[in-house]
Order: sequence, then C-alpha cells, then structure tokens
Amino acid sequence: MSETNRENVKNSGEDSQGSAQAPVPGVAKPSIPAAAHAKPAAAAARPAAKPAAPAEVLPEPRLNNGRGRLLGSARLWPTEVWPNPWARPSFVRGAYWLAGIVAGVLLLGWSVGEISVWANLAYDWAMNLLRLRQVPELWAQGAWSAVKVVVVFHLVALAPLFLVWWERKISAHMQSRLGPMYVGGFHGWAQTIADGIKLMLKEDVSPRAADAWIHLLAPIVAAAPAVLAFAPVYFGSGLTAADIDIGVLYIFAVSGMTVIGIVMAGWGSGNKFSLLGGLRAGAQLVSYELPRTFSVIPVILLVGSLNLTAINDFQSGYWLGFIPRWFIFYPVMGQIAFVIFLIASVAETNRIPFDIPEAESELVAGFHTEYSGMKFSLFFFAEYAYVFLSSALVATFFLGGGNAPLPFLRIWPSWLWFFAKTGLIAFCFLWFRWTFPRFRVDRLMDFNWKFLLPWSFANIAFGAVYLFL
Amino acid sequence: MTAHEDLFTEIKAGYPKLEKDRAQVEPYLTLKVLAKDVAAFFAFLKDTLGFDYLDMVTAVDWKGPVNRLGYITEPNPNPFLPDGATPQVQQAPAAPNVAYRESFEVVYLASALSRGRKVMVKAEVPRNSPNLPSLAGLYKTADWQEREVYDLLGVTFDGHPNLKKILTPDFIQGHPLRKDYVHQKDRYDD
Amino acid sequence: MTTNPAPAPAATAAPEMKTDQMFINMGPQHPSTHGVLRMGLTVEGEKIVRAEPDVGYLHRGSEKLSEVRGYHHCVVLTDRWDYISSMMNNLVFCMAAERLMKIEVPERADDLRTVMCEFNRIASHLLFFGTYGIDIGAFTPFLYAFREREMVLDLFEMVCGARMTFNYIRLGGVMKDLPDPWCGKAKEFLEHFKPRLKEYDDLLSFNPIFLDRTQTVGKVPKDQAVNWGLSGPNLRASGVGYDVRKFAPYASYRKADFEVVVGKDGSCWDRYYCRVREMAQSVRIIEQILDQLKPGPVQGRGVAKVPKPPPGEAYAHIESSRGDLGIYLVSDGGFSPYRMHVRAPSFINLALLQESLVGLKVADVIAVLGSIDIVLGEVDR
Repeated sequence: MSETNRENVKNSGEDSQGSAQAPVPGVAKPSIPAAAHAKPAAAAARPAAKPAAPAEVLPEPRLNNGRGRLLGSARLWPTEVWPNPWARPSFVRGAYWLAGIVAGVLLLGWSVGEISVWANLAYDWAMNLLRLRQVPELWAQGAWSAVKVVVVFHLVALAPLFLVWWERKISAHMQSRLGPMYVGGFHGWAQTIADGIKLMLKEDVSPRAADAWIHLLAPIVAAAPAVLAFAPVYFGSGLTAADIDIGVLYIFAVSGMTVIGIVMAGWGSGNKFSLLGGLRAGAQLVSYELPRTFSVIPVILLVGSLNLTAINDFQSGYWLGFIPRWFIFYPVMGQIAFVIFLIASVAETNRIPFDIPEAESELVAGFHTEYSGMKFSLFFFAEYAYVFLSSALVATFFLGGGNAPLPFLRIWPSWLWFFAKTGLIAFCFLWFRWTFPRFRVDRLMDFNWKFLLPWSFANIAFGAVYLFL
Repeated sequence: MTAHEDLFTEIKAGYPKLEKDRAQVEPYLTLKVLAKDVAAFFAFLKDTLGFDYLDMVTAVDWKGPVNRLGYITEPNPNPFLPDGATPQVQQAPAAPNVAYRESFEVVYLASALSRGRKVMVKAEVPRNSPNLPSLAGLYKTADWQEREVYDLLGVTFDGHPNLKKILTPDFIQGHPLRKDYVHQKDRYDD
Repeated sequence: MTTNPAPAPAATAAPEMKTDQMFINMGPQHPSTHGVLRMGLTVEGEKIVRAEPDVGYLHRGSEKLSEVRGYHHCVVLTDRWDYISSMMNNLVFCMAAERLMKIEVPERADDLRTVMCEFNRIASHLLFFGTYGIDIGAFTPFLYAFREREMVLDLFEMVCGARMTFNYIRLGGVMKDLPDPWCGKAKEFLEHFKPRLKEYDDLLSFNPIFLDRTQTVGKVPKDQAVNWGLSGPNLRASGVGYDVRKFAPYASYRKADFEVVVGKDGSCWDRYYCRVREMAQSVRIIEQILDQLKPGPVQGRGVAKVPKPPPGEAYAHIESSRGDLGIYLVSDGGFSPYRMHVRAPSFINLALLQESLVGLKVADVIAVLGSIDIVLGEVDR
C-alpha cells in the first residue's frame, strides 16, 4: 500500500511540475506521456474519478542538451548554459544596444557641433533683446550669469543621477548579475530618480543623542561646496561658467571644505562609529589634499596659468602630427602626475579602496550612519558630484580636455570629447570600487605620506626639467 | 580495547590513584578522578603525556530524567482545572538500571594530537556544593567552556579568571540544564 | 550575556596629553559580526585595548530541548546549530546516536553522507569566501561565490527538497537515495567548479591590498592555537595538521585520498587560504567517492520508530566546516537523550578573540573575526 502511495505521490508531483513549466517551442517531449509512468497498480488505486489520460505529448522543458537545468527546478544553472557569450542572445542584443548608443551620441555630437556657437548666438540675441528693452548692462549680465548657474547646477545635479545608475549597472555586470532592470523600461534607467523621490519622501530622523544643529548643517556644508566647485570647470571650448584666472586654486580650495561637513556629521551624530568615521575622514581628506595638489603643480608650471581653459588650450595640437600634446603623454612627469592625481582623487571621494571613513563592514556606515532621507542623499550627492568633478579635472589636466585624440577626429565637438574622457575616468572610479578591497587606516596614511607625497614632490622636479628643455 | 588498556596502564603508571569509570564513553578510554585532583591530573596529562589539546568540558546532572513536557513553566498545565488543584505534572519514570544520584559529573575530553590519542576524564561533584578546580590556567580553551558549564549547570570552577554567565541572558534565574530547573516567567513569556 | 563591562583602567598615556578610552559596542546589530555577536571593544583612538566577545543572543537551548525529544526529532534540532553546514550537524548527531544504538550504516549511505558533507563544506567555505571579501571591503567576490553556492544548494534541493536545513542524514542512513540524474549533475558542477577556484584566487586571494590587510594580523602560533582548542581550518592554518577526517576517519573518508591543508603562521590570510584550498580537496573527495559509488540500501536495519538505546554514553566527532564538531550523548534508556552536549567549534574558536584582538586596529577586528568563520547559530546553540 505504502509503495503504491509513494508511486502516486511521485507521479502527481511529476505531472504538476511538467504542467507548471513553460513550454518551449520546438522541443517535443520524447514519446512517453506523463501518465504512462504510473504502474498499473497505481492506476487501479484511483479508478473512475480520473480516466487514463490520453496519450497527449506534453512539451518538456528544454534541457540544453542535458546540461544546465535542474530537475524540478525552473532555475538555470549559471555559466553552464552558453558555450560562449556570443551564443547568448541577450549578450548580442546588449552589444547592439551599446553600439547604437555610441553611434547615436556621435551623431548627436556631429550634428550639434560646438555648443559655444549656439550659446554665443543665444547670448547675442538675449543681449540685443535686453538692450532694446533699455535694460541696464549690469542687470543683463547678471541675468546671463543666472542662466549659466542654472545650467551648471542642473549638470551637477543630473550627473550623480546618471553616475549612480551607471555604477549600479557596471557593478552588476561585473558581479554576474543584472542590476536595476524595471524602472523606466530600458535597463532601469529611472531607478535613481525613483530612489531620489523615495529618499525625499522619507522621514527625516535625527537621533536624540545628536547635536541637532551640527547634525542638520553637516550635509549642507558637505554638499554645497560640491556645487560651488564646478564654477570654473571647463566643459568644452567656451563652456565655462566662470572663466576665472585662479580656477585650479579655486576648485581645490572650495572642494576642500567638504571635509568640514563630514567631520561635523561624524561629531554631531552622537554615535561612536560616526565619530570614528568623521575623524578618519578628516585625517584622510586633509592628507590626500597634498599629493593631489602637488601632482598638478608640474602641469601648472608648464602652462603658466591656473586657468582651466588655458590648461586645455595648452594641450591642443599634436607632436609629429598624430601624438596629442596631452600632459599624460609627457614622458615620466605626465604619467606620475596622472597616477598620483587619480589615486588621490579616489581617496578624496571616499571610495573603495580608500573608503575607510564610511567602511561599511567596520564602522557600519561611518559618518553617515545616523542620516536618513534627504540628508543622507545630500552626502550621496556630494560623493558622486566629486566623482564627476575629479573625472572632469583628470580629463582637463591630463587627457587634453576637449581636444580630440587624433587630428581627423576633430569633426566631433570639444564638449563631446570632454564628456567621453570624463566618462572614461568615472568608469575607472567605479571599476576600482568593485575590484579592490579596502585599505586599513594606518596603511592608507603610510601610502600617502611615504609614497604618494614624496613622489609628487619629485615629480615637481621632473616637471621643472621640461621648463629648461 | 587493547589500545585502551595500554593507555590506561601508561597513565596509571604516572598517576596511581586512578580508576576506570563504570560507564565508558563509547569509543574512548574513560577515567575517573576525584574532583579536587582534576587540575593536578590534567597538569600531569599535559606535561608528561602530551595531552595538550582539551576538546571538551561539559557536565551531566544525574538527578534523574527531566519531565517529558520539557521546561516546567506552569505546574498545572490543564486550564480547565481550578486554581490550586493537584499539579498535573508528573516526573518521568526513572529508568531502572541507571544510577541516578544527587551529583554532577563533569566530563573532560583531552587529546594528544601528536600521538593520536583521546581520553575521557570524569569527575563527580555533589549537587549541593558543585565545586572543582578550574583548568583555565592549563588550557585556555577551558575558559569559555567552563563558563558555559557554570552558566547552564551551575558547576563552579575555582580559580577561573572570569566565571560569569555566557549564554543565557542576565535575567534568567537558575541553571537551565539542571534537571530540576523551573522556568521563572520573564518579560519574554507570552 | 553580560552587561557592559566598565572601561578598563586607563593605560599609560603621555602625561601632557590626556586621552580617554572609548567603549564601542560592536554588535549585536552590526553588518560584519556575522549574526548577533556583540563585541565590547575598549579602544584608544583606533587601537584596541580590550575586547570581550559577548555571545548568547541566539541561544535556543537546543541541548535542553533535546532532553525531551526523541532521537529522530533531535536530528531536526541539529540542523539549526550551524545552519550553513547542516549536513555535518545531522551526521555527527546520527553517528553518536548510532554508536549508542549499535546500528550499522550501509556502505552506500556512508558514501552519500560523505558526499553531502563535502558538498556542504564547499557551500560553507564559499559563503566564508564571499563574506570575508565583504569584510575586507571587496564586494564582488561575494556574488561570484554565491553563484557557485547556489548550484550546490540546487543539488541539495534535488536530493532532499531543502536548501538550508536539510535533515537529510537520518539515524541509520540517509533520508532517501539520490534521484537519477543527480550524479551527473554533481559531476557537472565539479567540472564547472574546478576552474572557478583559480578565478577566486585571481579575484581576491592574491590581491596586494587583501594580502596587506590579512597576512600580518591575527597570527596565532602553533602552541597557542592548540591551547585555545582551535579546530578546523583555524588550527590547521597555524600549522597543526589535525583533521578528524584523517585523525579518526568516519563515514567513507577512508576510501578517499586527500590532503590535509596546512598553513604556515596562522595569520588571517592563512586561515582564509586554508579554506579556499580545502574546497579543492573536497572536490577531490567527492569525485573519488562518486566514482566508486555502488548501488545498495541507504537505510540501516534496526532503527526503531521510537529508539530507546540502552543506557550508555557515546561521543562522536567529525570535521565540520568550522572545525571539530563533537556530540556527547548520554542515554538512560529513555526515548530521548538524557544529556546531549555539543562541542561547538565556533564557540571554542570564538574565545580566541578576547586575546588575539588586543593591540590591533578597529579595522582588524573585522579581519580577524571574519577569518575565524563563526556561525552564531552554533556558537549559541
């Protein structure tokens, strides 16, 4: 009896599985129908209620040549399924999408051309209009500055949105998963927007132990310089909000203020982990300011100006007609400066492998443990804005800013080249984050003071040699 | 068994006042020592015979089988009986061939890793004054294991550097693995 | 569980600079204490002056519970100790109970037990590999490890229907025989898995930052490791080749030819890498056992529905993925164990922390704690 019962159970189980699985067209089940497994005794045990099933051929799940799918499980075993990535339709589709996106961007850049031309047209038109309306010159200029501020602010605000989405997608694909796939339709492009809305709607919790004012002010102090620092950034020929002569100095000075906000957050949260995180951040950011700044000094020496447009223009042109005169191609000096600046920039943005101020596994979340909702997202925003800023600075200082890598590629406008280079460096930032483990706090300091800083000093000497050549 | 006999004679040669326990723990030689001699015996085992690895410290309460219903939380589990009725809980029948007694048996398992030998050592302490010397000075691993035995069974190890509760919360009264443990209602009940 | 200890008396500080010690409560809710472990850390800046692991937040009293449950029911309890490697818990309890009841286990059942335990070791070490990466700050290895772990769990699901608390190994044998395609799937997985080990090394093991963080900290010398009663990869990393699978072979380990992986100086990296190399040995064992798997019964004869073993005592121990997991069982002839004691390797390994953490940095706490590879379910039982 028990034997037949077991058979029944087994068979019904197989039946239900067989019918629950999605039929795959093109693969027919081989000859034996599901009910034929049952022994005659089992069929006799449940007589008239269910007549013997007709010999219909149920589709069987595709077994991928016997590999890849488990019995009774709808899950696919990863990696065993496809002989190579190009045999995988989604991979090919993704490649087409990427190629299409790149082609679309190139086409857009080619058709738009230099934005500064359009901007000059708009400027002339607006100024003429205002002059006809007898608006005073100062007001007119003020209005135009306001327009520039709005544009740059939106650029700064939207870049983190894009960067976050991009980071999530890149990290996902580095980790053999998909990342956001639903919100917005195409690969979850609107996920960050949805997250931003969610963060804005969240309750703003501040702990009882916190120092209320400092706790409130910290994210603002941290995030405001991130926006301010973009004023002199060169986005393409003629695209600079404030083309000031001390641009480099201004950027380093203003972005250095963020550390105050972070230390305030660590102190004001009333949490020991936050305090440790804030102190670590203070030590780290102040230390890494030094090699970061010193690594740029050779560049400034050669250009003779702190103006980012001047630095960009200095790198235009080609040696031998095809080697771009970018600083990264200056032997020894350029490469050392580039590497030091890149490393120090990663450290400045508190990202892995230098994310000890917010080391998740040690300090929970470091200085922003106690922040939620919009305050938290301000820190988040500041981090990504600085990633964007650092990438832009690397692109301007070392990768020739808006200059095309080869002479014939100058058909594409400078802003496109600038953003392409910025994106490349930003990708490096994300790539580091998902590849490296975290430094330990004392090793991090050793690395800075005993390695980066001496080499950045030495590099000033290397740069000085070029002045005499 | 011959391996056991060899080991027994070897240990006995260095430590004469020793006997085999009546209840041998299945695959190992099981020895019985007096509770007050435990530290001296293990010092001998460790220094002379190379038993440098203490596997386990635990204890058994030989008072008798625990009630079948497990934790006694309520002496009268039948809600339809009036208050003050005769308690329904009955002690589980004791097995006839087992020597139940008012004592704890502290059980040690030590290994000589280099020689591939393990030996069980038992020491009996009375339930009303369960004291015996601690091995924490000899084996650091005894630190937490003795704390666990103290926490769960209430055996006190003299000379332990840090003998306090380890597994049960502070508000638990008594020692849960004792056979006569009665659970006091606390804030997490109901 | 204890209340917060008073901060240790101030250590010697330079007289002109007054520094205060800070007491940090790491846990019980903390991302990298691997469960509900609480560590009372007294720190000076980032340096640890005193560390006190505090356990018991997951104490479920399974030793007490076993005193009122039948032997078959106790197998279910065992699943809940070390829920990452439940098969081994099942096995060790069944071995102890079989020793009490004098049950012979058929050969095929022994083989299946071995295979399942080794698969479980792979799954457990993969979890360690992934979470240790996260502890050190590398997030990506985690998902690579889980990709393979998922496949092992699928294999378990095929064989017993559960992915976590298997209850597959029963008194006298195993729950049921393998489904038909299982061996093929298992071999397919092993073929897939072998090259992955190389991938793990490339990803994490020899990363300079990772080496820098783990090779210098948490060193446990050989004699200390033995004195602390460490077991499993933690002991072997210190250079002591104590492996129960070789020391006192159980199940079918006699049939398999494998090496005991031994480290050098017992640093965190050694403990980590011992586990990674053990996965390769597990693959070897599984392949050998699967190759010589013979058909036969998987349940021994003479297992009563309500077993009442004769009065007696037994101890069984196996090499679980955390270490030397032992069960001390006392029977008084009743239907449930008179006393069951678990020699929980996690619990005993964890005691090491109170000494080995002193003098390290806060970041190293995580490196050392992660490398000891505890499962709080087993620590607290």
